Amino acid sequence: MTGRSLRAASAAALAAALLLGAAACTAPSGGGTRAADGGTAVVGIAYEPDTLSPLLGYGKDGNSKIFDGLLAHDADMRLRPALAAELPEVSPDGLTYTYTLRRGVTFQDGEPFDAEDVVFTYRTILDEKTNNPSRAELDALRGVRAEGSHTVVFTLAYPYAPFAQRTVLPIAPEHIAGRQDVNTGKFTTEPIGTGPYILTGWSRGEKLSFKANPHYWGGEPQVERFTMAVIQDDDVRATRLRAGDLDGAVLPPALAEGFARDRNLRTHRATSYDYRTVTLPTGNPVAGDTAVRRALDIAVDRQAMVDGILNGAGRPAYGPVPTGSPWFTAGTERRHDPEAARRILDEAGWKPGKDGIRTRDGVRAAFPLWYVTGDKLRQDHALAYASDARSIGIDITTQAGSWEVIEPRMKDDAVLAGGGAPGDPDFDQYLLLHSDHAGDGFNNMARYDNPAVDEALEQGRRAGDEAARRRAYDTVQRELAKNPGYTFLTHIDHVYVLADTWDGLSTQVEPHDHGLASGPWWNVETWTPKGAAR
Amino acid sequence: MARMAGRRVLLAVPVLLLVTFGVFAVAAASPFDPVTAYTGTAGLTASQENLDQIRANLGVDQPFTARWADWIAGALRGDLGDSAVLRMPVADAVAERLGWSVLLAAAAFALAVLLGTAFGVLAARRPGGPLDRCATAIAYTLEAAPAFWLGLLAIWLFSLQWGVLPAGGLTDTASDTVTAGQVARHLVLPAAVLGISQLPWFYLYVRQGVGDALDEDPVRGARARGLAERTVLLGHALRSGMLPMLTLIGSRVPELITGALLVETVFSWPGIAAATVQAATAVDFPLLAALTVLATAAVLLGNLLSDLLYGLADPRVGFDG
Amino acid sequence: MADRRPVPFAAPAVWRSRGGTRRSTRTLRIAASAAVLVCVALAVLVVPPAVDLDQQAVDLPSKLLPPSAAHPFGTDDVGRDLLLRCVYGLRVSLVVGLVAALAATVIGTAVGAAAAALGGWTDRLLMRLVDTFSSVPHLLLGIFVVAMFRPGLWPVVVSVAVTHWLSTARIVRAEVLSLRSRPYIDAAVSGGAGRLRVAVRHLLPGVLPQAGLAAVLMVPHTMWHESALSFLGLGLPTHQASLGNLVQTARGSLLAGHWWPTLFPGLFLIVPTLAVAGLAGAWRERLNPRRRAELTL
Repeated sequence: MTGRSLRAASAAALAAALLLGAAACTAPSGGGTRAADGGTAVVGIAYEPDTLSPLLGYGKDGNSKIFDGLLAHDADMRLRPALAAELPEVSPDGLTYTYTLRRGVTFQDGEPFDAEDVVFTYRTILDEKTNNPSRAELDALRGVRAEGSHTVVFTLAYPYAPFAQRTVLPIAPEHIAGRQDVNTGKFTTEPIGTGPYILTGWSRGEKLSFKANPHYWGGEPQVERFTMAVIQDDDVRATRLRAGDLDGAVLPPALAEGFARDRNLRTHRATSYDYRTVTLPTGNPVAGDTAVRRALDIAVDRQAMVDGILNGAGRPAYGPVPTGSPWFTAGTERRHDPEAARRILDEAGWKPGKDGIRTRDGVRAAFPLWYVTGDKLRQDHALAYASDARSIGIDITTQAGSWEVIEPRMKDDAVLAGGGAPGDPDFDQYLLLHSDHAGDGFNNMARYDNPAVDEALEQGRRAGDEAARRRAYDTVQRELAKNPGYTFLTHIDHVYVLADTWDGLSTQVEPHDHGLASGPWWNVETWTPKGAAR
Repeated sequence: MARMAGRRVLLAVPVLLLVTFGVFAVAAASPFDPVTAYTGTAGLTASQENLDQIRANLGVDQPFTARWADWIAGALRGDLGDSAVLRMPVADAVAERLGWSVLLAAAAFALAVLLGTAFGVLAARRPGGPLDRCATAIAYTLEAAPAFWLGLLAIWLFSLQWGVLPAGGLTDTASDTVTAGQVARHLVLPAAVLGISQLPWFYLYVRQGVGDALDEDPVRGARARGLAERTVLLGHALRSGMLPMLTLIGSRVPELITGALLVETVFSWPGIAAATVQAATAVDFPLLAALTVLATAAVLLGNLLSDLLYGLADPRVGFDG
Repeated sequence: MADRRPVPFAAPAVWRSRGGTRRSTRTLRIAASAAVLVCVALAVLVVPPAVDLDQQAVDLPSKLLPPSAAHPFGTDDVGRDLLLRCVYGLRVSLVVGLVAALAATVIGTAVGAAAAALGGWTDRLLMRLVDTFSSVPHLLLGIFVVAMFRPGLWPVVVSVAVTHWLSTARIVRAEVLSLRSRPYIDAAVSGGAGRLRVAVRHLLPGVLPQAGLAAVLMVPHTMWHESALSFLGLGLPTHQASLGNLVQTARGSLLAGHWWPTLFPGLFLIVPTLAVAGLAGAWRERLNPRRRAELTL
């Protein structure tokens, strides 16, 4: 890289020059300028993907930059055609989806895109030998076939209402990915797609660099060079944004507030389905007890967390479904009521001991609560939760660790977890609450097991009828209030601070995973320079 | 003199070898698996065969003595292995970042020597006077203050409250062009904090040295001859007071490296010390090992320099090593 | 080569005022230092059991309050009282510092005594080892050890201990060598006692006071070292709030413009260090009042 060698070479010269002029060196006036010149944008994100292959799960919820799906979400999360020429035709029984493909689309290497690529992508993902952790999301899909070069037909095992939402997943080129090992081939790190951006470099743990795809079927993007710097530490990201090293970054609300007065920067707030919850493992003699669960559920002061930890950028959460969602069951909100919580525990036989902590049959009402080291939001949620629990006589010890430390303990210890996906209520409720997924990786971490919920989740997934689905998800939410195996705390808004140099920025309703795909840069390909119309 | 230097360099070789050996031995005793570090979360789903292949590719299936020998052989050819966290050859990473660290350290040292000398002389002129007591108290306080804490407070004051200096980084924008003006502006705070954290030692040394010199016969004689106070102070006392301090600059390298580790991290300065912390956080062994050895070499070089200067300044010291 | 490298906190050796000893200032300084250390001891030993306050008690509505009568140091970003947090942080840091200093003293005494008592090749080898260890900057060596064994309480203690035994080893060795030339040792040796036996029975008790003093002086160093590691994210886990961790977690608040969560933990590190240095300096002066302060140990 010429920039690098230039830097290295100039450093030595500068050292000498600066030393000589150290006494005379004064700060030039005017301060830093955030240049939008040359159409570049550098944004700081917290997490990078493990892989860039759609076959292994990259970009499955859209906005993958390098690839396109058959469909895509617009700013209001409505589906619009992408590689498909129009929205799919659905058969009356809800079992067949037919997509007509866009013509004249080419991959970034110049090869044409057609129906075989779509069939290849879906069949590879469905293949057991492919290490795709999200295969369960295509559970309903029974088969996919091409009819001619520009029509693809999907057949389902049962009428899965949200299926079209799943077809935003990116399409991989068969002529490249089909010739390599799907799990380890070069394609996983050097992907080629049909999307608006071409990957020019990925230095793991540091940054992903993209350049605009001049032949993009949707028109060449005006942000010519787009870089995503991977910076896990919130404070470092904020410092580097302050230092002008970044044009924008995702930040915790408290840190974002520090930038509110800067006129060169604008704060964007995206509402989300991203919840923070405490898993209460069924196997734990304290956390698994229904009375303890119900007491904790009403002992936590969710509004105080929203105001205090999130600086108002969020809402109290009572389940995975946000209160603002049309799927939310009105009446399942829980009031903050420590008195009632103490009563529940008294009645269940948890009696306060000398140190104020309750016991029952020799079991002390105490358990550990883990959070990921370095995640400030989770840490603060955990501390506030433990504090609220203490006030009703439950002793929760907060402990920090990396995921490798936490994972083996998830069965018995509580974890401050996060999750949530917009689109359809099935998407994460099924994996989060269904007993089939108990202890299945990070899915049902609390090993929640409630037959009534299992049944309702099945109904919601299979019923084609909107009203029946609504009834099913109402049942899930009411059951969850009766036996809260998770204490849902907040839905958090995602806050981004960006240099005010581009037009066309907006935010979508975001899922839990926000790194590369979400954020105001979800549609970076349509940004235009400010004042370009001049 | 040259013979002494040669001997010291030769003696440094076993020390360096021992340090590298220790580094590899500690890594071998570590419960940490380099393959897991390399694959990250992807390793959780990877097949055993695949992991074994990576293990062989990284060469970590061999005993650590063999890896140590390989590493030494590679290092002699200039190949220090690849950094996992920076995803580039370690040698390139060092080459890219060393200049910036040297720049920072040199600026900080210059500041510490200049200010330390100035205040030291002024304080020694009137021992026990208000300036002496004030400066000495501040010096002890600064000596006890952690550099990272000073750095954070400096960021708060100069960047956030007054907005006069950047809070970190090397340049203003993401552009790859580096201008001297930008670097100078970004250098001020880190260099000042690093310099101030080194300052007390220089100050106390000069104050002591000049104070002692003022009590000695030649200076008393000069004073008695009626020479101007200025001439006495600068011409006689300062020279004899500063010499031992200057000769000991080389031995300050360890403290400088320690300070740089903290200051570069606080200010996101793209030097090798910040890279060391990154490497440690990500358990990037090749980078960490190379930087540890490099730091050791720097310390040995500093000691050598200091011994040479000491010998030059004081002919009574023989060069017997 | 004599080791002329000054110890990082040269303070103890040079803590004296020039221009004749002023008895009043010295007494004042000793009194102030002692008072600070008594306060530290009280705060660390008495406050936690006596004061019925939960340092973890989160009070979100009163987060980031500036210092006031109710919260002399203000509150942190989840509304915890910073004075209480600092006292507990000092406790954690002090315990880590003491344990590490103790471990370092044991290692240093053993190596130093063995080198001096056995002499010859063992001596040369051990001293070479000491030189090698002192060629690696301490914090860097500590970082390396912690990185290889994952951050946590014991790796931190080990990493601090392995970097701090060197000066003790040198002191003990010198002391043993000087003791060895005394007549009663000669008598023991000529009485047929073995080298090791002489070392353990006669020499070790003689060096223990020196080693003990070195251990006390080491505690500020070890505390500083632990704080630096914790600040870099390579120290104790965040739920074991040491002073370094407090500064580390305060970084976010600082960037949002709140200075007090950063300022006070740092002061808690500085003030006891100065107090220890003050007492040690006075002690040294009394021991050897005519000696010109020198920067070497």
